[in-house]
Amino acid sequence: MITSNLKRLSLVGFLPFIIMNKNVNAHHAFAAEFSVDSPVEFQGVVTKVEMINPHSWIHLEVKNDEGENEDWMVEGGSPNALFRQGITKKSIPLGSEIKVFGYQARDGGLRAVGRTITFSDGTPLFFGGTKLPD
Amino acid sequence: MKIKKVILLCPFVYLISSYQAHSQETPRTSWGDPLLQGYWTNTTVVPLERPIELGYQEFYTREEALEILATDVVEQETEFGTVADVHYQLDDYGLSREQTDVVLNLRTSILTVPRNGRLPKLTASAIARSDELDKINAEHGFDSAQSRPYAERCIMWRHEGPPLLPIGYNSNLQIQQTPEFVVIITEMIHDARVIPMRTSAPESAKIPRWQGSSWAHWEGDTLVIETTGFSGRLNAWGTKAEMSTSAKVVERLRRNSEDTIDYEFMVEDPTIWEAPWGGSYPMLATTPPLFEYACHEGNYGLENNLRGARAEEVK
Repeated sequence: MITSNLKRLSLVGFLPFIIMNKNVNAHHAFAAEFSVDSPVEFQGVVTKVEMINPHSWIHLEVKNDEGENEDWMVEGGSPNALFRQGITKKSIPLGSEIKVFGYQARDGGLRAVGRTITFSDGTPLFFGGTKLPD
Repeated sequence: MKIKKVILLCPFVYLISSYQAHSQETPRTSWGDPLLQGYWTNTTVVPLERPIELGYQEFYTREEALEILATDVVEQETEFGTVADVHYQLDDYGLSREQTDVVLNLRTSILTVPRNGRLPKLTASAIARSDELDKINAEHGFDSAQSRPYAERCIMWRHEGPPLLPIGYNSNLQIQQTPEFVVIITEMIHDARVIPMRTSAPESAKIPRWQGSSWAHWEGDTLVIETTGFSGRLNAWGTKAEMSTSAKVVERLRRNSEDTIDYEFMVEDPTIWEAPWGGSYPMLATTPPLFEYACHEGNYGLENNLRGARAEEVK
């Protein structure tokens, strides 16, 4: 048995496959994977970049409030369009410091969808068309 | 008449007209068939179904189409704290339409049949089946990997067809030709249809397959592809009910100019729709290569969705 909220999300997440003329297209239901009630914002050091389909993942070492290191994974978009414009995983050098604003996994795991990701100085990672929430 | 490419709004958006006369010189293979081989995109802002309020209006004016394109390619910021915001930003990854080749035609919908540009009425059995599947999905949609949709499981995405339909990003395909075969490869999610040149269904059409079994022949300079032998497991368009094994799709591809192909299709499945339906759109030549879309390789999302469901259960 699952919550009615999650049931609704399972339908919402796949509308893009039927309605093709919308901006948001996803391989799966992101809101079933990550919680809108768990926004997160942190900065960390890149330890691994996975330019894999259906979605790219950036691994980070993040120091938590207690000073301990945590290993986070941040999910992003399909890398194919990045490759097409000459961007590869080398575009994010290991050891880079990046900032992440996103939403954490529903199970509380150290995973987040990277709603907005920049280098620590605010430089966009790739194209940088997004704004952080006010 | 030479097709004009007009750069609009940004370097990646092109306006082409598919309603101009066919070029006099159709490019041909070394063995004389019309040349379809190459890399193509069908990214578009034209919806599959026509907005109801447009009725039987098949085309926009050029000015209307330009305005629609201008508003559609601008990425909308999502609002913090909303479900829609729980997503990466498409333009951060080169996935927004303003960062992609967009093929615009003046049609108000991809569908041209029926005349209202909308999918025909569903049969009573299709509606009942769709309702049944909705109920199953609501109660058991996150029970296991097997209860998740085929797309999430990296098995098949519906836009791969047949018929081929545009998707929001990575909407690219490659066509390869030999005298005996045509191969259509869709970038996302990396499936290839190997289509023999023949005038009747191959024996393999008796074996149900995700994309059916296709065969093709030339009618003048138009490649006509027929497909039957569908799996009976993939949902039909506009409903969760599965397209039946007896469904039939006919596609027509014609090289319209050096950089465009006109694509037309018709779909019939009397178990799902009360009438056949079909449509057309232009494809635009795009820069190679296709990139591998190894969906299974990194499909952490499937596992993570199930983790999320288990976490919700214990709350």
